[in-house]
Amino acid sequence: MTSWNATRRRTHTGAAIALSACLAAACSTGTGSPTGSGSGSSGSSGTYAIWDPYPQFDDSADWVKLLQKCGTDVGVTIKRTGYDTTDLTNKALLAAQQGNSPDVLIVDNPVVSTLADAGVLTTTDEMKIDTSAVEPNLLAAGQLDGKTYGIPIGANTLALYYNKAVLTTAGVDPAEIKDWTSLTAALAKVKAAGKKGITFSAIGTEEGSFQFLPWFWGAGANLTQLDSAQGVSALQLWTDWLKNGYAPNSVINNTQTTSWQEFATGQFAFAENGTWQLANAKKTGFEYGIIPIPSSSGGTAPAPTGGEFVTAPVQTDTGRYATSQKLIACLTNADNAYTTDTTLSYIAATDTVQAKQVADNSELKVWVEAVKAAKGRTSDNLGTKYPKISEPMWTGFQAALSGAKSPQDAFGAAQATAAAATK
Amino acid sequence: MAPHVTTRASVPAMPETEAGFGRTSRARSSGQWTAWAFLAPVVVYLIAFYAYPLYRNLDLSLHRYTVRSFVQGGAPFSGLDNYRTVFDSPTFWPALTHTAVFTGVSLVFQFSIGMALAIFFHQHFRLSATLRALFLVPWLLPLIVSASTWSWMLNSDSGIVNTALGVFGIGPVNWLTSPDWSLASVTIANIWIGIPFNLVLLYSGLQSIPSEIYEAAALDGATHWSRFWRVTFPLLRPVSAITLLLGLIYTLKVFDIIWIMTRGGPADGSTTLATWSYRLGFGNLLPSFGPGAAVGNLLIILAMVFGLLYIRMQRRTLR
Amino acid sequence: MKRSLKTAVGVGLTAIMLFPVYWMINVSFTKDTDMRADPPHLFPLHGTFDGYRAVLDQQLPFLGNSLLIGLGTVALTVIVSAPAGYSLAKLRPRGAGTLSFVLLVAQMIPGVIMAMGFYAIYLKLGVLNSSAGLVLADSTIAVPFGVLIFTAFMSGIPAELVAAAKIDGAGAFRTFWSVILPVSRNAVVTVSLFAFLWAWSDFVFATTLDGGGAQQPITLGIYRYIGNNNQEWNAIMATAVVASIPATLLLIVAQRYVAAGVTAGAVKD
Repeated sequence: MTSWNATRRRTHTGAAIALSACLAAACSTGTGSPTGSGSGSSGSSGTYAIWDPYPQFDDSADWVKLLQKCGTDVGVTIKRTGYDTTDLTNKALLAAQQGNSPDVLIVDNPVVSTLADAGVLTTTDEMKIDTSAVEPNLLAAGQLDGKTYGIPIGANTLALYYNKAVLTTAGVDPAEIKDWTSLTAALAKVKAAGKKGITFSAIGTEEGSFQFLPWFWGAGANLTQLDSAQGVSALQLWTDWLKNGYAPNSVINNTQTTSWQEFATGQFAFAENGTWQLANAKKTGFEYGIIPIPSSSGGTAPAPTGGEFVTAPVQTDTGRYATSQKLIACLTNADNAYTTDTTLSYIAATDTVQAKQVADNSELKVWVEAVKAAKGRTSDNLGTKYPKISEPMWTGFQAALSGAKSPQDAFGAAQATAAAATK
Repeated sequence: MAPHVTTRASVPAMPETEAGFGRTSRARSSGQWTAWAFLAPVVVYLIAFYAYPLYRNLDLSLHRYTVRSFVQGGAPFSGLDNYRTVFDSPTFWPALTHTAVFTGVSLVFQFSIGMALAIFFHQHFRLSATLRALFLVPWLLPLIVSASTWSWMLNSDSGIVNTALGVFGIGPVNWLTSPDWSLASVTIANIWIGIPFNLVLLYSGLQSIPSEIYEAAALDGATHWSRFWRVTFPLLRPVSAITLLLGLIYTLKVFDIIWIMTRGGPADGSTTLATWSYRLGFGNLLPSFGPGAAVGNLLIILAMVFGLLYIRMQRRTLR
Repeated sequence: MKRSLKTAVGVGLTAIMLFPVYWMINVSFTKDTDMRADPPHLFPLHGTFDGYRAVLDQQLPFLGNSLLIGLGTVALTVIVSAPAGYSLAKLRPRGAGTLSFVLLVAQMIPGVIMAMGFYAIYLKLGVLNSSAGLVLADSTIAVPFGVLIFTAFMSGIPAELVAAAKIDGAGAFRTFWSVILPVSRNAVVTVSLFAFLWAWSDFVFATTLDGGGAQQPITLGIYRYIGNNNQEWNAIMATAVVASIPATLLLIVAQRYVAAGVTAGAVKD
């Protein structure tokens, strides 16, 4: 009986091994379906991969049609993939590590210096891309150690939206808001009239830093010294607004979308938000206006630039560059840039197209001015130091706004962390 | 009478031992072959899919990776430097304490609520199956949706929870925006998400208890309460142990709920080891792969400790 | 009377549990301008169907893909983990402790790390953006879980049952197939249920491995409404609602099947 059992067992062992082997085989062959061709450049030479951070656009969108058209013009097939923007940096790094980068990569501007530092991107000199028409303050975000790593597809920035009816009720004239004192006074009047003051996004991510920077720069502070008197005064401004009930407590956790939703209720007088909300502003059903963010002692504060760069990742087959260069030229030429920036609700990166945008829609005038005054986050040759400063900065303002620390202590600690990280 | 019940009850929980048949060593080794043949698929699977990520995480934590060396290779070996960086960070102790509190509190509530519900639904009544299925709906929702819904409800100004509390004259509580409350808020949301898991496992455990045992206990005149402690609970031990252990492992590595609701903030108020690891590795424009992976590995070691405890416990019952 | 009281309590408890789900439904009908109203609107009285219009126009194909991926994951998980559970519970392989231990540790690897590992492998093999690849990746969430659950349940199967099969002359494989598996139906359903749910709601693997695929699951469909500056929350929530309806129906059916529970009967024989 024992031997009989043993034989049987052996048979089953064999069967089980065969089963697992076939499973393993299925793993290697079954998944190799034709749809699964790599996303990178390993495909046939006539196919060029483009990655962008606009997953909201599908094949029927103008943006994707433009990509296809550029492909047709140049004579190649485009394989386009839209990724979530927070995911794209890691994807790009991993793809580069595996030697499988896309031919054209469209990526958020503060990431450019990180990717450039990693050696993932080619310079515009190598690619022979003409960047001369681009506004220098916008191009700066893509520059590192005197080299340029891409060309902006368009730009956006921040300004203050206001609700006309609320301001009228409170007796505030938006034209008189020139500096922080007059802004805070306006907020006090709004509160006294029973409405809510201002909403913004102070979330503990890059989004929060983006929203804090106009105030920080507007105070005259510099990112290399977070705990300077000017830097602390900017944080003091935000903290006091919260303490006095001029801004809701929820700003600590607001994304820019959440903050916009608060403004859209019609209860708020002001909202700090971006160019991209213009289309939504028309849907709110109340009259709105836009003013630039004032700096501490008067005048327009420099706001950070948002928006993406078109870049060309390094390829092993340098023969592909010529075509990639044509594709980039197509995407960023005046006509196409106009279409793209209209679709994205962005401001163009060149003077000519900006003029055309204002001519077609006078509402954009204030935004074009804001973009001209704006400043790249990685500018001042901060490059990859910027992320190491930005994180302590948002940790700092979160600590102060939530009452865990005083503004002075919060930025003192932030500066210590940033200094240690960037030394 | 009670000991009588317990003896009967312990029969199905007793593990089956083939060694009792007193086999020769050759038969035993062929038994080993069969046993491993059944295990072969999973072993192949583990090696194929887990070895590489695990190796990679270890590798990342032992080298000084910058974005450049991550792409181009050639990161210098740095021994335990990344771990030292992590231990010296002011975030370390808060993160560790938060992890312990978050995991402990979540487990206690998830398990006891899950158990209570499982027993409740086990008394078949009209709609019980449908209602039990509805309890699983939270699981069907992508985490980004359920976590966002919670942060919606807990919003300081426009959240339904504060409005409801306001009716009773309480609040408003800054659920997500105060360092004192944010950990409690994410724990509550996590308990909610974890209840279905505990309910299903414990309910299936209850289902596998033969009904005669209950009948015998009822004949012996045991009350509901003593029936639970003397019959149900001991019989559910293997399933309870695995439910708690898996719950522990899953809770230790929860990061999405916390990340979506508070980003670990404000002022690190709800940072756990898992969210910290994510923030280091992915939550910044410039990833610090090394320290991120080091924190991840600390979590794995933590799970290993509890895993070892579980296996020792299992051995003791198997003996 | 007492039974209907239990039903009432059950309905009450379910209502509390599902309140956040109700809130999600509420938001899915809410206009952008009312989303952060203070105090919030309890019912979407002046609601909008914009979210649903968008979803029904664009999202239905994603649902089919999710279903397919879910079922594929279930099949793969059960095939791999049930035999292993049997072996660990009943056949006492040497090194069982080590293997259980490795399985536990395997579950501890953060999803993002797993996803990055898979991404690198898939990129090399050129199998990115395929449903089969996603099934494989999704099953890694469920397989260690499956093995542990099968082990826990199968070790509870009475010794007499296996001994009886042995006396009848059944080998290990037949014992597994015709004795152990039928008795473990509860465990099979439980594991399948979780494998399905995990695959259905998985996002990390989907976005990493199938981000550019032709057959994307519903969790990626949601990203249609998450732009890089702006999110359309009513459409996001509407997607989640639409996505959970077929799955909920499936669950209710599956649960009835479990409730019919034959385990006790099988043990009696």
